[in-house]
Amino acid sequence: MKNLNISDDDFQKFREYFYRKTGIQFEPTKRYFVDKRLVERIEKTGFDDFRSYFTFLRFQSSGEELQHLTNLMTVNETYFFREQYQFQCLVNSILPELTARKKSSTPIRIWVIPSSSGEEPYSIAIYLLEKWAEINLWDIEIISSDIDTNILTKARHGLYSERSVHELPKAYLQKYFSKVGSEYQINDDLRSAVEYTRVNLSDRADTRPYRNFDVIFCRNLLIYFDDFSRKAAGETFFDALNPGGFICLGHSESMSRISSLYKVRKFPEAIVYQKPLENT
Amino acid sequence: MAFVKSVTANNSQDNQRKQPRDCDHLKIQLQSESANERRWAARDLTDCPDAAGVLVAQLKNETHQSVREVIFTALTYIGNEIAVNGLIECLRSEDASVRNEAIESMKQLPNQVAPMMQQLLKDSVADVRIFAVNVLESLRHPSVETWLINVINEDQHVNVCCAAVDLLTEIGTHAAVTPLMSLKARYADEPYIQFAADVAIKRILSD
Repeated sequence: MKNLNISDDDFQKFREYFYRKTGIQFEPTKRYFVDKRLVERIEKTGFDDFRSYFTFLRFQSSGEELQHLTNLMTVNETYFFREQYQFQCLVNSILPELTARKKSSTPIRIWVIPSSSGEEPYSIAIYLLEKWAEINLWDIEIISSDIDTNILTKARHGLYSERSVHELPKAYLQKYFSKVGSEYQINDDLRSAVEYTRVNLSDRADTRPYRNFDVIFCRNLLIYFDDFSRKAAGETFFDALNPGGFICLGHSESMSRISSLYKVRKFPEAIVYQKPLENT
Repeated sequence: MAFVKSVTANNSQDNQRKQPRDCDHLKIQLQSESANERRWAARDLTDCPDAAGVLVAQLKNETHQSVREVIFTALTYIGNEIAVNGLIECLRSEDASVRNEAIESMKQLPNQVAPMMQQLLKDSVADVRIFAVNVLESLRHPSVETWLINVINEDQHVNVCCAAVDLLTEIGTHAAVTPLMSLKARYADEPYIQFAADVAIKRILSD
């Protein structure tokens, strides 16, 4: 007989397991959100109760079910040109400083994590094309990563609702998008400008190859992590950045509360964090 | 357009191993002259539980903050007895940042730290006992209140008791009220104890 009730004990077990695997911590206030998604997966996988589903989840060697569940549990709410002042900071303050000491033969590497459905990496690409005078002098790589494979597929597809593009100037909308029914599809040039990859920020094996970045955008992700996972993420970013590289966090987040390894840089447009130049 | 993609997204030519990454080699690389190499060695030693000893030893001599932070993270992940003992040893460090890092790491290891807590709360050095109380601040363990009550019942150092009272204000239950009143009587001439214990009692009774 099916028992789709998630008990307090089940919730505790699950949140500890999910935290260990992803670094994402669900407070008791998120109980309804978590229970609803757990029940959805229990039903979809054909198990009778949480216990048997949880055993399956933990011991499935492919990790496929954990990925399904992660896709459901992650929040992917964003829109184009969100927190635009940081893109202004990128163009007006960060890139001039980076390019002053960088060889033009090496590309400027930008890592966006979490990617979500692509609004942020595409916003950066559009902003650079429209606002950065030196765009034609430099090669730029934009790599955009997320733990959620469904959302990465959506990002690659690049189809957006009216709500997603409401902050975009009309001229940009006309220039970089085409109307598909009631939605907007970003053009092929921009779609091919961004490389999308699946990364679990809490998995050292996943993040190890991510290195030599000049700028990282990690906005509104670390708020879902607990202190220890935030600290580990701060160290991962430190390893991923070139000396002198910059990291931009969400407006309510502060690297100073996470790690003492970074220099605080107060630019006119935004406060960002920098890996010190001298790091032997 | 100026946008390019590398052959792979992760610039994997830089991910080629310059040194073997097995546990034995990583332990050697932890002694490297390059802070960057030590840092990566410490990061990868997280997956080598028997490396806790060398990580603890390196911590004592490590001067580069970025390496130290990774060693603390690695010890927290490993979390075995050697790692926890190493973290406890750091509470005696003269360097405040080392002590604070150790406290933060220990807070993440309630089950491993718990068996050592009673001993730590009876350490001969009052500062170490205060740091132990600091660890209790965020240690998710059911005995935290009991340990704090024992501190205010037994500890002879007023600053240690002050630290415990401050924390009981946050997490104390009715079980702490009588010990707090006894503490007030024991330190009748200490204005801070009077004030802090009153605040704690008021907060507890208002629940």
